[in-house]
Amino acid sequence: MASEVVLKNVDNACETAEEFTRLFYKQLDNSRHLTSKLYLDTGLLVWNGNGINGNEKIQKFLMDLPASNHVLKTLDAQHIKNNLVSNKLTYLIQACGDVTYNNDQVKTPFQQTFLVVAIEGKWKIASDCFRLQVPYNN
Amino acid sequence: MPKRGGRLRNWKPNEHFEHDDRSHSNNTRRVSFKPGTNHRKNKFRSWNDASQILLEGDIDMGASGGQGPNKRGFRSRGGRLGSPAPRPAARKKFIPGVLPWYQIVIPYGAKHEKDVILRALLSFLSPDVFIPHYYKINGNAAVFFVDDVKIAEKLFYADRKIVMTDGFKLVVIVRNSVPNVTIDADMKQKMKLAMAKRYNATTKALDLTKFHADPDLSDIFCALFRPVIMLAAIDIIAENIPDLEALNLNDNKLHGIEHLKILCTKLKNLKILYLGDNKIMFLGSLDPLKLLPLVELYLKGNPLVKRFNDHDIYVSDVRKKFPKLVRLDGVDLPPAIGFDVSDEVTLPSNRQWFLVDQAGQNLVRDFVTQYFAIYDSDSRQPLLEAYEETAMFSMAATYPTGDMRNAPENKLNAYISKSRNIMRITERESRRRYLKIGKLQVVSFLSDLPKTKHDLLGFAVDLPVFTPGMIVLTMNGVFKETNVSGNPTRSFHRTFVIIPNSNGGFSITNDMMFVTNTTREQEAKAFSAGTEQPAAPVVQAPAVAPQPALQPLYDDNQRMMLNMLGQQTGMNEHWSVNCLQETGWDYQRALFIFNQLQSEGKIPPEAFVK
Repeated sequence: MASEVVLKNVDNACETAEEFTRLFYKQLDNSRHLTSKLYLDTGLLVWNGNGINGNEKIQKFLMDLPASNHVLKTLDAQHIKNNLVSNKLTYLIQACGDVTYNNDQVKTPFQQTFLVVAIEGKWKIASDCFRLQVPYNN
Repeated sequence: MPKRGGRLRNWKPNEHFEHDDRSHSNNTRRVSFKPGTNHRKNKFRSWNDASQILLEGDIDMGASGGQGPNKRGFRSRGGRLGSPAPRPAARKKFIPGVLPWYQIVIPYGAKHEKDVILRALLSFLSPDVFIPHYYKINGNAAVFFVDDVKIAEKLFYADRKIVMTDGFKLVVIVRNSVPNVTIDADMKQKMKLAMAKRYNATTKALDLTKFHADPDLSDIFCALFRPVIMLAAIDIIAENIPDLEALNLNDNKLHGIEHLKILCTKLKNLKILYLGDNKIMFLGSLDPLKLLPLVELYLKGNPLVKRFNDHDIYVSDVRKKFPKLVRLDGVDLPPAIGFDVSDEVTLPSNRQWFLVDQAGQNLVRDFVTQYFAIYDSDSRQPLLEAYEETAMFSMAATYPTGDMRNAPENKLNAYISKSRNIMRITERESRRRYLKIGKLQVVSFLSDLPKTKHDLLGFAVDLPVFTPGMIVLTMNGVFKETNVSGNPTRSFHRTFVIIPNSNGGFSITNDMMFVTNTTREQEAKAFSAGTEQPAAPVVQAPAVAPQPALQPLYDDNQRMMLNMLGQQTGMNEHWSVNCLQETGWDYQRALFIFNQLQSEGKIPPEAFVK
């Protein structure tokens, strides 16, 4: 039923997700000063409900976070037919795993969903929603 | 010095003693033949047959004779064979066992009342007192346990020192042995009650000092040094007081504590731990507890403390294992000098909602309320209207890391078997197959998932994209499964990509879900908000009243009528719509026609299938 183009997109979304998350978490954990380069200039990070707009602010926000170590457990990806940015490929990537902060031993599960767009041959994060798996009702 | 002919005895449970076999033998007893014995035909040893133990004098005889000529040939053997004259018990020597528990056997103890025997023993031991644990009659012997080596030794020397009213001397056999135990629901319940009474809710402290001696547990062997019992106790704590901060395990005869490792994952808030007066041999034994954020620790009265000649080294070594410690053995520690590395960077606080654009508030609220009203209903079929023709759905699921819960309700088979985790599913073909494309496929997949009830007020909602052409909505939250026994709660993360459709409404084009088990913290807070509004920073809580399908074609008034008609008649969405449309959205008339057709039996059963 699905056309050849669609199927190719299914495959590509998965491969992009694998490569993207490998790079993203490596940078976030080991060389965070470079991480914001992965975001669009106008990219949005929503970190546990705190919205941080734009590449520069994201960089500052990330630098203020404690040292982290992310371990992925599941990964999933889909392509989005209606392009967010006109005529640019857009993929939805969902990464879930455990994170430890401050080299602590406590592992907290996290879930993170990215919207990435292909701009001038580079994948850039248009939006990034990060949530720790904790109760949110007070 | 033992007298000639005597010998040291090591009172281990499996050790057999010689005696002659004149008396009533018992086929089931354990026997062994000692070839070194001569002069006597059958030198059987039995430990279990209480009646034979009465002939203890002969046992000693046999013991000396049984050494054989090779070792002790110079000794007279077999002297006083069969003589009823008792030997003075004092010439036997008591040897403490490895574990601090001793079984006391009083052969023919069944002849006397429990009180009579205990009073006799207590008055003999006076002024010492002891607690007889798990007193019971076994055959014609009385059996109980003591948990104190000194008492065991004194009882050992009480052997045949007490003349009972019937003229017989009371035989007391002491052996190093631990009571058997199996943990069942009944025992757990008893432990729970005993623990409840020892819990202080204001300080979040649980005092399990000398737990096995708790009067409420006198009839069961509930010693925490047994790993099974300790683990059962920890389970009970984790289930009932997961936020416990202080735990007192003083005086429980703990030796190996490897299994206490589980405290680190089950009781993450434990800050104060008392382990005094136990049998912990080495400081290294505490390594399994290193992950606990302990600020106070009590270790006095354990052999490990004596291993240190220098108290300062002891303190410093303990602190290496528990760097946050401020109090050890009841003494405040001087503040440690550290380095200024500012490694304690804290995380920014959480917010429940984020909206990139406040204009999206109503839409988000309506969407969440309506979508999950249908998703949580008996039938998810009406969701067909919410998805775009070629919509996509995929789901990934995994178990939480290090989660030891493995009850049937903790199983995630219903999700994991369908999980599209591309870290595991690496084949292209499989990746394509696990991705559902087309709204029929999507809704049929969703319909096969367990029935649910979502905790809408507990949702964390993020709206990162809100443009005329596309809306992206991500949520985190908890639902419970309503058709699975135990109604387990699950944690989910879900993202919808929504676009405007040609009808002036909206359709979902992408739907991506992650499911796992809830953490204990989530479980505790799930569905706890009740009807109160969540502390959402910018928006009001979504109304929980279920509304019919996502159907932008209907205005609020029409939607309300649909809702009411559905509730009043029990008809599904589709039939309610038909009914209302045919009557020109006249609610009273629609209801009238429904009643009329219903009384004539003209409404087919499928109209009520939701």
